[in-house]
Amino acid sequence: MSHKILVNGPITQEIVSSIIAKLAEKKDAGGHSVFIGQVRADDFGARRVKAIEYSAYENMIEAEAGKIIKSLSEEFNDVKSIDILHSTGIVMAGEISLLVIVSAGHRHHAISACSKAVEMIKASLPVWKKEIYENNSAGWKENSLA
Amino acid sequence: MEIQVLFFGVLAEVTKTAFKHYRGVTSFEELKMRVGDDFPEIAHYNFRIAVNNELVNGDPLLKDGDEVAYMPPFAGG
Repeated sequence: MSHKILVNGPITQEIVSSIIAKLAEKKDAGGHSVFIGQVRADDFGARRVKAIEYSAYENMIEAEAGKIIKSLSEEFNDVKSIDILHSTGIVMAGEISLLVIVSAGHRHHAISACSKAVEMIKASLPVWKKEIYENNSAGWKENSLA
Repeated sequence: MEIQVLFFGVLAEVTKTAFKHYRGVTSFEELKMRVGDDFPEIAHYNFRIAVNNELVNGDPLLKDGDEVAYMPPFAGG
C-alpha cells in the first residue's frame, strides 16, 4: 500500500497512467475502484474559480491517511490495497487534485471502500484550499461534510 | 519547555507566519494564552489543535519539543 500521499502540483495524466499500469501487478484483485477529483471552475458571478492553491500539514497527512487505509482494510476484508494521492500547491481548474484507487478481490468492496475513503479524506486529511478567481482575488474554502 | 507552534490555511495568512517557537512554556493552557496574545486575530476563526500530529481535546500534557498545530477546518479533495 502506498503511504506517500502528497504530489506537488496537479496529479498529471502521466502519474495516473503509471498507477493504473501498476494495477496489473495486483493479481489477487478482481476490480479497482477509482475516484478522480478535479478542480471545479465554480462561478460566483464576478468571481470564477481559475485555480486552487492547496496546502497541507505534511507530518500529519501521512499518519491520517494511514489511519484511513487501516480502518477501511479492517472494515472491508476483501480490499487488497488503497492508494491515495493529493495535490499541494497550485492546481488549475480542470486539473486533478485527488486520486483514490481501491483494489479488491470483488467489486462490492472496491466500490464501497473507495466511496468511504473519499468521505474520510475530506473529513480528516489536514489539507486546506484557497480558491483563486479569474479576477485574481482569492478566498479560503471549507469542506461541506453534509 | 520549548514548543513549536504551527499555523495552517487561513491562520497562516492572518498571523503572517507558518510557525513560531515558544520558550519557557509551562502548560498547554498557558501556551494557548501566549499564542492568543501574540495573534489576537485568530480568535475570529474556527480551528482545532493537534499536538504531534494528533488532534487534541481538553488540556493535554505537553513535553519539551512538542509540535502544536493550529488548524482551520479541513478542505481536502
